[in-house]
Amino acid sequence: MATLSSLSFLTTRAVANVPLPDSKNGCLVKVLPYLNQPWKRVSQLGCGRMQVVRAAPDRISEKVEKSIKEAQEACSDDPVSGECVAAWDEVEELSAAASHARDQKKDSDPLENYCKDNPETDECRTYDN
Amino acid sequence: MAVSTVYTTQSLNSTCSISTPAKTHLGSHQKHVVLFRRTSKRGSSGSCAIKCSAGDSQTVVIGLAADSGCGKSTFMRRLTSVFGGAAEPPKGGNPDSNTLISDMTTVICLDDYHSLDRTGRKEKGVTALDPRANDFDLMYDQVKALKSGVAVDKPIYNHVTGLLDPPELIKPPKILVIEGLHPMFDERVRDLLDFSIYLDISNEVKFAWKIQRDMAERGHSLESIKASIEARKPDFDAYIDPQKKYADAVIEVLPTQLIPDDNEGKVLRVRLIMKEGVKHFSPVYLFDEGSTISWIPCGRKLTCSYPGIKFHYGPDTYFGNEVSILEMDGQFDRLDELIYVESHLSNISTKFYGEVTQQMLKHADFPGSNNGTGLFQTIVGLKIRDLYEQITSSKTAAPLEATKA
Repeated sequence: MATLSSLSFLTTRAVANVPLPDSKNGCLVKVLPYLNQPWKRVSQLGCGRMQVVRAAPDRISEKVEKSIKEAQEACSDDPVSGECVAAWDEVEELSAAASHARDQKKDSDPLENYCKDNPETDECRTYDN
Repeated sequence: MAVSTVYTTQSLNSTCSISTPAKTHLGSHQKHVVLFRRTSKRGSSGSCAIKCSAGDSQTVVIGLAADSGCGKSTFMRRLTSVFGGAAEPPKGGNPDSNTLISDMTTVICLDDYHSLDRTGRKEKGVTALDPRANDFDLMYDQVKALKSGVAVDKPIYNHVTGLLDPPELIKPPKILVIEGLHPMFDERVRDLLDFSIYLDISNEVKFAWKIQRDMAERGHSLESIKASIEARKPDFDAYIDPQKKYADAVIEVLPTQLIPDDNEGKVLRVRLIMKEGVKHFSPVYLFDEGSTISWIPCGRKLTCSYPGIKFHYGPDTYFGNEVSILEMDGQFDRLDELIYVESHLSNISTKFYGEVTQQMLKHADFPGSNNGTGLFQTIVGLKIRDLYEQITSSKTAAPLEATKA
């Protein structure tokens, strides 16, 4: 997956970037080629993630796993201490977050999400008559 | 929807430019009187606006208490669906916001009022269940503000990072639902609630549900799930469980009694415990109010598969309060079972015959759609709609009474 690092050295030339729609999979980045320096060609117009992706369930899953290990360690010393209890509470909280993320991911359809925000675009037009 | 009439006085020199008041979401009873005074000096547009809002914009506040993993989200989705529309997180805001907004309802998660974030709690060795981890003063102030029609900046607790994020603006809705661990813990917040619900899941069922939820996660095992439940139990029993005596309606979920030695937890016995004497709320009943009845709908008219369905209704006392308990044990397999049962329940506040069935079918993919949890959650949703309509109609009637007198 190409990144946009090839363009990052631009200092004075303005390059217009069309803002990405809020979709993890879509990549509608259009980069205007260097209008004034046609000899510098961008070698590959790649699709890159330009904005922070929402917490993917993988990250949360890793957090869950880590927190379980930490809780088990904390409780091996003293099963009724505050640290032990707080650690298991953290496990519970992260498991709940992971389960919500899974449900959301299951429901969400990238096209539906895009069309909710941009109903006037061509892909989202509906013909009801 | 606010209807505003603008009166203008003609002035000789200045051009009239009247700006309509900004659209407010303060409920349909809010009346704004905006007065613009225009100076006649050319070139200057000095105008002062005096805004006085008449009428009450009472938001109806509902509280929902339950432990984590007990069906609060499902209940919220059913409830907002009864009012129409789907509730979604606020557009354009923090993607990890816990708030849900639809046309009529706003759902606030009380985790946003944590005073300690995850690291803070770990340092002090307290759980999220502990009142020391929550800011009840802020909770009371903000719920009170929203109830009287003032927008607030509510903090956001990010469940993924465990940090407190910058606040988001919450505008007062027609119906405000506060869901979380402690809606009825603080007495001042409790007094603000128009209706309160507690989801009481028994330990065996909770264990079964958490296994279903967590076994897919890497790192979890039966022992870790069990350890997690048991570690939280002392705090839960001390701080969360006592709230059930204040609730107007308790949905208690227990293992079934129809299958001996069942430990799968698939068939459930659900009890809807409704407090008597609550304003604008009349309990659901079977056959006749105040009598005790056991009913098995399966027989000649209706054939059910194993283990069948069993209903019970009767008056009782619950923590010193008079209550009526409607209980369902078993599962719905077919549509006609559901409609048959609905036709025999009374006081369910439906607007048309079959509304409960229609709502259950609309969300047939939600957990609990084939047993008492879905049925009673839907019924409570309809009762809340009825309560809301009664409150708002009594509010519009009261000013009329005052003008007549």
